[in-house]
Amino acid sequence: MDFFVVSLLNGLSYGLLLFMVSAGLTLVFGMMGVLNFAHSSFYMLGAYFGYSVGRLTGFWPALIVAPLGIAFLGALIERYLLRPVHRHGHAHELLVTFGLVFIIDELVKLLYGNYPLKNPMPVELSFSAFRLFGLDYPFYRVFIALVAIVMFGAILALSRFTRVGLIVRAAVRRPHMVEALGHNVPMVFLGVFAGGAALAGLAGVVAGVFYPTGPSMAQELGVIVFVVVVVGGLGSLEGAFVASLLIGIFSSFAVGVNWTLADAFALVGVAGADLWGGAFTVKLSTVAGAIPFVLMFLVLLLRPAGLLGERQ
Amino acid sequence: MKWLAIAAATIGLLLVPVLFGDRFVFVFIQMLTASLFALAFNLLWRHTRLLSFGHAAHFGAGMFATIHLMRLAEANVLAVPLPLIPLGGALAACLLGVVAGYFATVRTGTYFAMITLAVAELIYALGSQWEALFGGEAGLSSMRLPWAGWTFATTGEVYYIVLGWVVPAAAALYFVGLTPLGRLAFAIGDDETRVRFLGYNAHRAKTMVFALSAFHAGLAGGLLALVNENVNYGAFGGTVSASVVLHTFIGGSGVFLGPVIGAAGLTLLGALLSDVTRLWLLYVGAAFVLMMLYSPEGLAALFIANLRLWRELPWPSLVRLNLLGGLAVLAFVCTTVFVVELAARALTEGASATAVVLFGTTWSLSSPVTWAIPIALALAGHVALKAAIRQRRRLEDAVA
Repeated sequence: MDFFVVSLLNGLSYGLLLFMVSAGLTLVFGMMGVLNFAHSSFYMLGAYFGYSVGRLTGFWPALIVAPLGIAFLGALIERYLLRPVHRHGHAHELLVTFGLVFIIDELVKLLYGNYPLKNPMPVELSFSAFRLFGLDYPFYRVFIALVAIVMFGAILALSRFTRVGLIVRAAVRRPHMVEALGHNVPMVFLGVFAGGAALAGLAGVVAGVFYPTGPSMAQELGVIVFVVVVVGGLGSLEGAFVASLLIGIFSSFAVGVNWTLADAFALVGVAGADLWGGAFTVKLSTVAGAIPFVLMFLVLLLRPAGLLGERQ
Repeated sequence: MKWLAIAAATIGLLLVPVLFGDRFVFVFIQMLTASLFALAFNLLWRHTRLLSFGHAAHFGAGMFATIHLMRLAEANVLAVPLPLIPLGGALAACLLGVVAGYFATVRTGTYFAMITLAVAELIYALGSQWEALFGGEAGLSSMRLPWAGWTFATTGEVYYIVLGWVVPAAAALYFVGLTPLGRLAFAIGDDETRVRFLGYNAHRAKTMVFALSAFHAGLAGGLLALVNENVNYGAFGGTVSASVVLHTFIGGSGVFLGPVIGAAGLTLLGALLSDVTRLWLLYVGAAFVLMMLYSPEGLAALFIANLRLWRELPWPSLVRLNLLGGLAVLAFVCTTVFVVELAARALTEGASATAVVLFGTTWSLSSPVTWAIPIALALAGHVALKAAIRQRRRLEDAVA
């Protein structure tokens, strides 16, 4: 029982962190048709910016300033690197962001060193939220979840109930028509890209003080975030939300489960499968990293547009 | 002319072990396998416009299958001549390619890229855990067994096995483009809906091209495994998948031999420079992004554009254009490398650094000379670039 509850809570908080990063990615994809390979690099940069700003001003100002810095960087990248190659097609835009990953990775290693930093949690947030089965449950996990939920609500409200949101949604559907109505569509694209980058940056600041801030941050999250947006349906914010939670909870449970394929066979009455060795004795906990991919294949096979994506 | 160049290149490649020492022959082996890998990758992209971010899956499958076969041969279970073993690796990769390709090619564009990426990541995740098949951290090792009087103990002898596979395989990849399947693949890359409308089975064609690409990627991996006699699950890692993308697009994806330029050139430079700089990947990444911005078809396209002008213009003006352009690029590269390496060394020394050692000289960080050099270089590059652009415009007007 305690395993179940703790895994569920950890899975939820990890899933909500995944959502914070994938929200920007899926928004940008929905708008520009570009899957930003460098998106998790923005997340990593957010953590590092947050660290640098936080050392000067403390955690709370960094929570605002660092995402703004990342937004500015995102705007520069969209304007000077992505827009010029737009005419060559989406593949080239994808490739530009792919190249950026190496540049950002190496620059981070150059500036901050090739090792994780000491990035302590603010004192006012490092207390126990509640006691659970004799263990203190850190409040910071709850804080991550709260930030993500507020963010989800804010984006939904912004896109549903404001004029800006209306124009952005219209620009996704009919960019030429929106342009004909006198709106500056390239500027809208720039804004969305910068906004998406800022969201990743915010996630980075929040996660950086809880998980290690290190040069491999981007790589660790990178592919999982792609899986989240594909499973949720490219471009669907709600889909990303559901998929993040699913993958967060699945991975969190898998880490603690020692089932093997042989156990599964035993369950249906085929005993002794563990004697076959090989794949039959690999514990689920050791291949927890593979679970999101299996989920992704299943979704792509059974529901190619993703859980909540629109059919093309 | 074309055939003369090919014959000269082949003779040159045959002479490599005669002319160079073992260390360099090994670098040449890496260049050859990287080239074949990049050509295999580009078969998918150039023809069918499918961008795979997980080709390490096939490269690694080729490596592991080859090592397993070598181990079987070592245990006297299997009697296959050593030079033929990489073919087993290629077939294993092809098998994986059929399965992965069947599912991946259901989709195109971004989805395809994501599926291939996920396949490689999945195999990587399994590879790190499944010790019986992939050998864990230490990986699997084997030894090359002698065959028909050849001991394969020297790098030179192995080089000829590699060359003997890579050149025909590259030729085969070229001729695939001329077969009906290749033409169909080109058509699919152009407009898949129309191809389907004409009654072709586009999915089957894409799967076949994918499998062919996987076959050659596996062959490249198998050859490398034969040389290294060792492989661990890192062969499935993201860096392997990424390097083939970088090689192909820096070299030029639109021309058949473009990926070879990128793969051979970058492998050679990487081998020469990896001891000198820690920031090799930064330079490669920057080169890649710049290439995407200013010459999306890569280095090969620049060559071809030059060749075209060569036929239509008096050569002295063209030599001047290329000299100016080359000078500009050289000046900018020098500026960047100087500033970046200076910064890298200053940062590792810490905040108290006043002077750093670079290129065998000590540079004072407060001395104006240290900063005048990159500024002067950048200015020179700027002037040369402006002149090159003016010259080019004049030449283009002359042609038009």
